Amino acid sequence: MRAYKLLSQWLCLVPLLIGCAATTTIDEFRPTDQLIFIDASEKIVVLGRRDSGHYETDREFINCVTNKISSANITVVPEQTFIDAIYPWFEPRTAPKALPRLKRLMQDPTVREKVDGLSIRYLVWLDGSTQTLSQGGSMSCAIGPGGGGCFGFAQWDKLSTYEATVWDLKDLIEKGRLRVDSEGTSYLIGAVAPIPLLTPVKSDACASLGNQLKTFFAVK
Amino acid sequence: MQIYKTSIIYIILVGLIFLGGCSSTATVQIDADFPTVLAKPKVVSAAIIFDEDFVNYVGTPNEKTSVSIGKSQVKLLKNAFSGLFTTTQFTSSMDNVNADAEIFITPSVQQIQVSTPSENYLNVFEVWIKYNLKIETADGLLDTNWFMPAYGKTPDVFMSSKEKAIEEATIIALRDAGAKLLLDFYRIPALNQWITEQQQRAES
Repeated sequence: MRAYKLLSQWLCLVPLLIGCAATTTIDEFRPTDQLIFIDASEKIVVLGRRDSGHYETDREFINCVTNKISSANITVVPEQTFIDAIYPWFEPRTAPKALPRLKRLMQDPTVREKVDGLSIRYLVWLDGSTQTLSQGGSMSCAIGPGGGGCFGFAQWDKLSTYEATVWDLKDLIEKGRLRVDSEGTSYLIGAVAPIPLLTPVKSDACASLGNQLKTFFAVK
Repeated sequence: MQIYKTSIIYIILVGLIFLGGCSSTATVQIDADFPTVLAKPKVVSAAIIFDEDFVNYVGTPNEKTSVSIGKSQVKLLKNAFSGLFTTTQFTSSMDNVNADAEIFITPSVQQIQVSTPSENYLNVFEVWIKYNLKIETADGLLDTNWFMPAYGKTPDVFMSSKEKAIEEATIIALRDAGAKLLLDFYRIPALNQWITEQQQRAES
């Protein structure tokens, strides 16, 4: 009888847990369906766009994507190492936003020499953010001499939208573009103790984008 | 009774600590290092005059905030000017300038502004620094001022104290000042014309 009760309680939680799954969509554009070959000596750098006024691509997301790419035996140069090595050419104000500007920049012998010295072949730009779209419900917590607790229900929707653009620093062309949209709802149930049921929207976006990016490259 | 009194004292102390955390005053000391610049300097001998006000500059964007950027901005500009000129001399006054210097630059801070999330309704701290560079040449042909604005903001303010956030935004603004200087210095019209004339004179 006790086991049946426990099972029925868990079954009540299942619809909520299912509701915590994120919906992720990936759009991919590549000029060809061929893999991007990378030498074992060549490296990649993943950079976040920081020129927008109201958001900037967060370092946590960049590190997450970097780790995903690194797991495919591709050497990734840390973002800050590259930005410092090439200062002042990749600061928020000065970083090239499009290929024509990159081509002009790479004509500078000092810049070309530095990029070649670091053995960086591909640059991956990440641009995007995670936003809370809407939130509802209410939760109140109280504490007194006899104890405390939280009661209520709150929910919020989050959307992660990120775009990755791969530039070839040797041939100075765009090798591909990826866009990921991940959306989900998180819940907080106050039943004496607050129970969070969080949808990992950003980590889903990172996993999807990172894994898809990995399929772009093949180590020679 | 003794336990009751002790408990009250602890509660008051904890309350004071919390209230101290809510204080909105911020005193920020910037002590950052900046990367070596990647630039090809022009064959010009320059003297950079960092006067006492500049070296010890403490900005007060509002009555509750003070930002000490003197030492860091000197470090940054020493680094940046070394990427602009082949010969650079740093001095504290015009009296100590070497005779071979062709160009004299005196930087100063005109203004520093800070914007907090409660003011800008964004989830970021922002810092603006407005510099003025007084540029003169030894031949007396050039005497101009160049205003150089720099901007920095934090990625977000999650789990960040006001001091830490202002420090982070100020370092980004200082890096921006260095980048702006390196990219735009030789685009100053009067200076560009003077350099061109110098080159023509040297060739003829």
